[in-house]
Amino acid sequence: MQTYLSENNLKTLLDRLIAGGKRVIAPRLDAGTPLYGPLADAAGVVLDQLPRRSAKEAFFPVCEDIMSYDKEGQQVTLTDVNPASFPETVLVGVRPCDAAAIPVLDAVFSWDYKDEFFLERRKKTTIIGLACTQADDACFCTAVGLSPADPKGSDLFLTPVEGGGYACETFTEKGETLVNGNRELFAEPNGAPALPPAEPQTEKFDLKKVKAWLDDHFEDPAWDGIAVRCVGCGACAFLCPACHCFDIVDEGTEKAGKRRKSWDACGFWKFTHHASGHNPRDLQPKRYRNRIMHKFKYYDDKFGQTLCTGCGRCIRFCPVGIDIAAIVSEISKK
Amino acid sequence: MTNTIDTSIYAAVTEAIQGEVRRILSEGSVSAVVGYAAARRKGSAQPIVITDAARAEELVFSAACVNNLAVYLTKAKKEIPKTGKIGIVVKGCDLKALVGLMGESQLKREDLYLIGVPCAGVLASTAQPSQELTGDTIAPKCRECDARLPAGCDFVPDQRPVSIELAGKYSAEIARLEAMTPAERWAYWKEQFKKCIKCYACRQVCPFCFCEQCLCDRNKPQMVETTPRPAGNTAWHIVRAMHLAGRCAGCAECERVCPMDIPLNLLNRKMAKELKELYDYEAGFEVREKGPLAMYDEKDDQSFIK
Ligand code: SF4
Ligand code: SF4
Ligand code: SF4
Ligand code: SF4
Ligand code: SF4
Repeated sequence: MQTYLSENNLKTLLDRLIAGGKRVIAPRLDAGTPLYGPLADAAGVVLDQLPRRSAKEAFFPVCEDIMSYDKEGQQVTLTDVNPASFPETVLVGVRPCDAAAIPVLDAVFSWDYKDEFFLERRKKTTIIGLACTQADDACFCTAVGLSPADPKGSDLFLTPVEGGGYACETFTEKGETLVNGNRELFAEPNGAPALPPAEPQTEKFDLKKVKAWLDDHFEDPAWDGIAVRCVGCGACAFLCPACHCFDIVDEGTEKAGKRRKSWDACGFWKFTHHASGHNPRDLQPKRYRNRIMHKFKYYDDKFGQTLCTGCGRCIRFCPVGIDIAAIVSEISKK
Repeated sequence: MTNTIDTSIYAAVTEAIQGEVRRILSEGSVSAVVGYAAARRKGSAQPIVITDAARAEELVFSAACVNNLAVYLTKAKKEIPKTGKIGIVVKGCDLKALVGLMGESQLKREDLYLIGVPCAGVLASTAQPSQELTGDTIAPKCRECDARLPAGCDFVPDQRPVSIELAGKYSAEIARLEAMTPAERWAYWKEQFKKCIKCYACRQVCPFCFCEQCLCDRNKPQMVETTPRPAGNTAWHIVRAMHLAGRCAGCAECERVCPMDIPLNLLNRKMAKELKELYDYEAGFEVREKGPLAMYDEKDDQSFIK
């Protein structure tokens, strides 16, 4: 279904959703840093900056409690967190590179083990995507087969049009329900042309060729050259919309505490450190190799998808300037 | 744009670095050189390690050469060959870290070949690598730099001292924090620490965070809560500030790389200020075996013992 939504009506919609008890997550400034987070009111929404962290945290928070324990004498009480208590959510202003990563994550979180925390939030969230009209030289969604106007992962997709406001298209039942429930805010399409989409400059990767090289080059001297400068932090993984590793730890005292799930990263030395003291990925090039392998080979082997949507966050924020687009394009030329 | 900073010297510096590296690598007087190379994004640069004289022409120096390369010479980076003498491109601020590492017996002067860069400043993390260096785009640390011409290097491409007058930001910000009540200050830092996601980029780029196992990674037993939550975050930042007190060379790398924009260098600068006032000690100017927090002197301030 195609409609037109003015900027004012978008704000009215968000305020109405908030007033109706829905959690509305949107890009806003958090002490000056653009981040997705729950909105107090529509005035706080910031749609012209790519949030520093991706939208995955709406489903997979930086840190969440998944259980608590209490001990009284010999009596231990375990209390599960009930995912049924997660709020109905509308996630707004999601860039195509972020939205496209969400169905990619569905695959891993609903595979042999069904991650109820992720899946329950997923079920209860309606995603309003937003086309990009500006890209920088770290953006490369087009190189991995997406685009600044790709509605993949969005229930409802907004494209800015000339003269202001958005052309709005629904792609799922969730999207239709949202529009139908607020019909008077959505007008007939006004025929105004869409603003030109952003044009990321990176050449398209031949992902098949990349994978073919990776299939055969687990051992290759090239890895040392690629990763020698990596300092092994988690910045790239933590900012990435598709990275999804986590750790589970119990924190608290002997008497009471919580079991917590929080983000983890394959760049960390500790990630593969065995209790025996042995670390199979003992050097950083092996850890960085894993990052590339996971994104462009293992995930494809297992789920038939690429674990990178070209958002460029890891490029912008790698402390030592490691550029995954440059690396993948180099591999595709091998 | 206003107040452009003159970086014309960088072209000559680049050329001189290339020539010198070609010479030392082909002569065999060093086994590897850590420097900067141009990267894909317009104007960007990244660290590079070269062992082959033929690759010397890849080296550059520009306002995008923000990294403190000293981190690659610490024992935390096992990938870099540490046999024989190693060449390294250093700005004055980076040199302070190397000096500190020598004092901590991590490096020996005779194993290093220092290529010092006369520096007009580098870009702030908020700037795009292609931006011009101006009073607005310059890294905050460069505003109050006292080391634009590195001293005691083996090779300095151009001895012309660079001088730039810019108002300091850290000093002003520290003064603002010092004027707060303890409760206000605590509230300020709580807000900042809340943002931390424990990506540890700050630790990984710090030349002084070279511990084989960081206390904050320990889980047998767990010393500090590892999850990114207020309690563990606060503990992590206090542990780090204390471990860096008297050692931090002020390269501001920790702050530059923080993806959550936490002003980490303010903590470090404040600690440095305290050490200056209490012990008349400044890190990074001369090789010293022990900092004030690692030794006892009868003249030490004892007023805090109540
Ligand atoms: S790997 Fe990098 S560019 Fe790809 S989706 Fe993750 S953060 Fe974005
Ligand atoms: S690639 Fe960059 S961001 Fe990722 S672990 Fe290495 S240094 Fe950190
Ligand atoms: S602090 Fe000084 S030496 Fe360091 S980059 Fe800035 S101007 Fe150059
Ligand atoms: S604590 Fe920060 S400023 Fe100090 S040496 Fe480490 S990275 Fe540099
Ligand atoms: S770099 Fe920033 S977010 Fe990451 S651990 Fe350090 S303070 Fe926290």
